[in-house]
Amino acid sequence: MLETLKTLCYLSGPSGYEDEVRDYILERVMPHADEVMTDSMGNLIVTKKGRVAPTKKIMLCAHMDEVGIIITGIDDDGYLRFDFLGGVDRRVVIGKRVYIGKNRIPGVIGIKAYHLVDKEEEKNVPKREEMYVDIGAASKDEAEGLVPLGDYGVFDDSVYEFGEGFIKAKALDDRVGCAAMIKLLESELPCDCTFAFTVQEEIGTRGAKVVANRICPEVAIVLEGTTAADLPDVPEGKTICKLGEGIVIPFMDRGTLYSRRLYSQVTELADMNNIKWQTKHMIAGGTDASVIQRSGIGVDTIALSAPLRNIHSPASIAKISDFEVMPELARLLIETVLKD
Amino acid sequence: MQLKDLIFDLCAVPAPSGFEERAYARVSELLAPYVDEIGTDAMGNLIAVKRCGKPNAKKLLLDAHMDQIGMIVTEIHKSGFLRFANLGGIDPRMLPAREVKLLTEPPIRGIIDTMPPHALSSEDMDKSIDAKKLFIDAGLSAERAKELIPLGTAAVFAGEGECFGEHQICSMALDDRSCVAIIIKIMEALSSHSLGLDVYCLISTQEELGMRGAVTGAYAIAPDYAVALDVTHAATPDSKKGETMDMGKGAAIGVGPNMNRALSGLLLDIAKEKSIPCQVEVMSGNTGTNGWVIQVSREGVETAIVSLPVKYMHSPVETADIRDAEAIIKLVAELALKLGEEE
Repeated sequence: MLETLKTLCYLSGPSGYEDEVRDYILERVMPHADEVMTDSMGNLIVTKKGRVAPTKKIMLCAHMDEVGIIITGIDDDGYLRFDFLGGVDRRVVIGKRVYIGKNRIPGVIGIKAYHLVDKEEEKNVPKREEMYVDIGAASKDEAEGLVPLGDYGVFDDSVYEFGEGFIKAKALDDRVGCAAMIKLLESELPCDCTFAFTVQEEIGTRGAKVVANRICPEVAIVLEGTTAADLPDVPEGKTICKLGEGIVIPFMDRGTLYSRRLYSQVTELADMNNIKWQTKHMIAGGTDASVIQRSGIGVDTIALSAPLRNIHSPASIAKISDFEVMPELARLLIETVLKD
Repeated sequence: MQLKDLIFDLCAVPAPSGFEERAYARVSELLAPYVDEIGTDAMGNLIAVKRCGKPNAKKLLLDAHMDQIGMIVTEIHKSGFLRFANLGGIDPRMLPAREVKLLTEPPIRGIIDTMPPHALSSEDMDKSIDAKKLFIDAGLSAERAKELIPLGTAAVFAGEGECFGEHQICSMALDDRSCVAIIIKIMEALSSHSLGLDVYCLISTQEELGMRGAVTGAYAIAPDYAVALDVTHAATPDSKKGETMDMGKGAAIGVGPNMNRALSGLLLDIAKEKSIPCQVEVMSGNTGTNGWVIQVSREGVETAIVSLPVKYMHSPVETADIRDAEAIIKLVAELALKLGEEE
């Protein structure tokens, strides 16, 4: 799963431009799937038969898209203006490298030299409208020849393990869920399952909405990345969750009050199987679960998440031991749902 | 080696102020074929000389600093995160979610973590984060971090050099390794000429902490002439007009009290005569370059400052135009020959 995750994080797939990720996943899961389809929005829906046909239709879900930028204009002197795709904290993009479009044109989000910054300026983060991408183009013409308006950009894609069992990459949110689903698809399943690799989660869980309408699942398991604020000087109540404390099973976030039945089942399963888990200590964030849960006549929904530091930044961090258990815990839950 | 590759080669060497040994070693290797002697001093400067062979020859000093901005670990927090101070001036807004390399043996990767927005107000998110509140995350427990990372360990930004568009290069440490590369190329160009004066290279230390290495280096060399080679600000969309030079318009020749008027004039004449692209950079007071301390070394040194325009100085993504660097090589090599002729 770790190697799959690394490969997935290298790929470019900001919201609305998930093609590279989808193509890769499709290639990986094709040999193991019974049916695959891509819908009009670009969601990839994969079904695989298991040992039995379930009494309840089960769907697993992870989103393929990542946060990024979209090019909105080109200045006379060749600099690109942009907007964010998804919720990006302006504080983490300054002086960062980006790669634009399929051809991966390298650029940087520039900021004038510190020597030219006055004391007042230094206290504030430039507004998004003031920011620009420098691709080394000397003129508008040159830039236009390289980058069409509406093209996307992704952050620096270096991926590596570091410290005591950590991994750094962009897009860990939610390639970690995608990697877990690929792992499940490559194994024998307890029962038939549908896997939804969704688009546009980062701009408002838009892909999952239509997937849920199409699949009409009765039980949904959302595999995600979630924000961790376990930094020094952060008071205990504000850490949300911690790296190294296990997989996150939330009872609630800002989008969803998760199924209490599934929550107690999965937390019990984790305990019984010695899988380290934690819950979220703060009602924060949201996932595809919010739209899946309230689709059709309603869906029993739960999420399993990997805690991530610097989520939505070019340098997200996960602890490998926290997310490695994700496929196994999902499988245990599927078996339990089957028995219900 | 091509100039571009030479610059990337040098920029990849981690050597923040006070920790220049790795740069010293690499520059020595690269410079050795073109000079007669290489040595060092108590400040760690690299001092090399190419002699002309004449007795009592005059001395021309070419200076570029080999140190880069960086960080230094000041505390290991009980959680294992590392508190740090800056080595040189770094915009604190450049730091969140930044990858760094801790200069242990072998080096250790780290990331400067940032508090996620979920727990902040929108007002907080418009404010830059005080660098004192930031930590390097090396993914280590406090116990392990203490074993592996002694206090006082230095760090630099991570990342590799990259070509931008047709003529631009982007890397950390272009300030001032690009000019170190330029000096190596000048010495390479001069190696096929007979010189009229001794040419000294001062590849100096601790410039970013206040031009410290150049003070002792210039004193030891006691030059007659000096050219300080450094980077200057190139225009960006958010900089004010008049504060910056233009990238791609050639060598920036400094004019002002820090520069000897005759020497600056000679540079401008050479540029005109040889059709070398150049631009005048008016510098009113302290130039913030080693030229500032070299000029007042011993009984005074006739000093010129030639600069390479660079965008985003002191960031991990400094950007320069390779044509400007080529112009400087030509210009300063010509100056060395010209000054030699006059003797």
